[in-house]
Amino acid sequence: MPESTETNTEERKMLSEMLRVLYPHKSFGTEIYQKTAEAVIGASEASPAQKLTLQTGIRELGIAGFDKMDPREATNYLKSIEGNAFFAAVTGPGLVALYSNHDVWNLLGYEGASHHLGGYVNRGFDDLDWLPEPRITEYEETQKS
Amino acid sequence: MKKIENSEEVVVIVGSGAGGGTMAYELTKAGIPCVLLEAGPHLTNEDYVNDEWEAFGQMAWLDGRATSGSWRVAKDFPDLPAWIVKAVGGTTTHWAGATPRFKDYEFKALSTYGKLEGASLLDWPISLEEMEPYYDKAEKALGSTHRHGRPPLPANNNYKVFANGAERVGYKFYATGPYATNAEPYDGRPASVQDGFNFQGDKQKSKWSTLVREIPRAIETGLCELRADSHAVQITHDSSGKADAVLYLDAEGNLHRQAAKVVCVAGNSIESPRLLLLSASSMFPDGLANSSGEVGCNYMRHLTGSMYARFEKPVHMYRGETMAGIIADEQPHNPSRGFVGGYYMETLALGPSFLASFVEPGAWGEDFTEMMDAYANTAGMWIVGEDMPQTSNRITLSDSSKDKWGLPVANVNYDDHANDVSMRTYAYEKAEALYKAAGAIGTHRTPPYPSTHNLGSLRMSELPKDGVLNRWGCAHDVKNLFVSDGSVMTTGGAANPTLTIVALAIRQAEYIAKSLNAGDL
Repeated sequence: MPESTETNTEERKMLSEMLRVLYPHKSFGTEIYQKTAEAVIGASEASPAQKLTLQTGIRELGIAGFDKMDPREATNYLKSIEGNAFFAAVTGPGLVALYSNHDVWNLLGYEGASHHLGGYVNRGFDDLDWLPEPRITEYEETQKS
Repeated sequence: MKKIENSEEVVVIVGSGAGGGTMAYELTKAGIPCVLLEAGPHLTNEDYVNDEWEAFGQMAWLDGRATSGSWRVAKDFPDLPAWIVKAVGGTTTHWAGATPRFKDYEFKALSTYGKLEGASLLDWPISLEEMEPYYDKAEKALGSTHRHGRPPLPANNNYKVFANGAERVGYKFYATGPYATNAEPYDGRPASVQDGFNFQGDKQKSKWSTLVREIPRAIETGLCELRADSHAVQITHDSSGKADAVLYLDAEGNLHRQAAKVVCVAGNSIESPRLLLLSASSMFPDGLANSSGEVGCNYMRHLTGSMYARFEKPVHMYRGETMAGIIADEQPHNPSRGFVGGYYMETLALGPSFLASFVEPGAWGEDFTEMMDAYANTAGMWIVGEDMPQTSNRITLSDSSKDKWGLPVANVNYDDHANDVSMRTYAYEKAEALYKAAGAIGTHRTPPYPSTHNLGSLRMSELPKDGVLNRWGCAHDVKNLFVSDGSVMTTGGAANPTLTIVALAIRQAEYIAKSLNAGDL
């Protein structure tokens, strides 16, 4: 049996850690970054070239000791590779997957699809109460009335 | 739906958005048979999804395009110069809904602003006075709030921040419209339920689009055949130089020919000039109707820019009608500000998926996540102002990139004019002042998105040497070839363009009907 060319557990962990350094939300648990890493790996399956780009980049992270760096060193390391093909292969699909994750929406306070719930007309579209109620008509109309 | 033979010479309309959909209704209402070609599928309101990326994949024009020039979109989104729709109803199915009119002087940009280095300013061959009755008709068709007895929409949370900031910095001309979404039932369609999804298509049908109004009514006349998945690739002409047919591809790439008495091109300011350039012949070697060399030139996209501001308390900007908030105080031409023309401020909201991709393309790290962490407490606005026409801001056929049928894609070249840069900088400062007055603890200057307002590129001009079309949107060079979309705009004004596109189309349809009845076409 040939040696596996699939991304292994260690590599997945490395990628997940990279995503946390890229998008460091204190409120996000590890599983959110793991799920995002899976989406990045999934996107790389589109072609052998993309798969090679991703796997090579993850190996390079290991060689650089990325997982042993403190947050500041890790950030500086990512700055040094910003703009290369691996960086783009992670941030492109990673950004979309991370912020399309419904658990992330919950944490950020976004409610998602609403039409099937009757919209927000009776669910707080105008519930902001820390500012006065503003005029909604046009200025000239107010002057006339 | 009426079946029209491919050999029957009819009015052939290319594109079913604001211009094309309106043409189909106005012409068939006047008894004139039309074939309406739409490159995209026939999605309905029930098909739409309340999810930003899924809806983008469903509705957006994703066929290849190329970019060049110094604008930032060419760097961040090189294949996506514009965010517009490929489906029946065109971009009216995802527009937000703001409907300001052009001001009198915006039709006379050259006379008002004077000559500006690098800008190809020109006066329109039409005046506001001539447009006013058509603006009235268009506002009634669209059901614009604050107009003709239509009530205003209520204040949503994003508007409350926006309007309070406006009041505190001394602005007066703010309101929740005019906005083409029903505050109460109108024209057979229900009131808004404030579901917060506009750019994803309106499942509620309370927002005007040609999908919900003009196209079904055109079909009801029994004189219109709508052909979806029909992508026009060439306009042919006879030996006298009159347009005589449109060639189009179906979804499988089979070529069809529809005979034409009149052709109305309404494929948006990128695809419309592309179609004329693809229609070059020995009689029209530089592209159809291009003796001036102006086809594709003077492409405009409005100034644009956004500001997102963070507050200590919740806003939930995504709840409610996205753009039901307009400030017009900075709209007038006032050169003492350091630029000509003006701009509107309009409420805008994105969900986290789109905000992450567009708030600062390419950004990551703590500064970025600070903005995302504040999502629930964030308010947003869009800045939309007049950008300067420039000959070099231009749609051309790409030398290297082809679509899946082997045809060259459109290349969009764009550079900001110095006036655009000055106006944008000024507008960002004013937007910051507004939000700070409302209590903002942080603001971010978001650069322009892929273009949603695509204008010019086949402009109307008094003299044939200055543009492609005459005052009726008819080609100077081809007497039965019309353009019926935002490409016709001589200059862009500051107003969101849809209302003006519809008003121009109503006017043009009236002219075509008269000319056909008189045997002039």
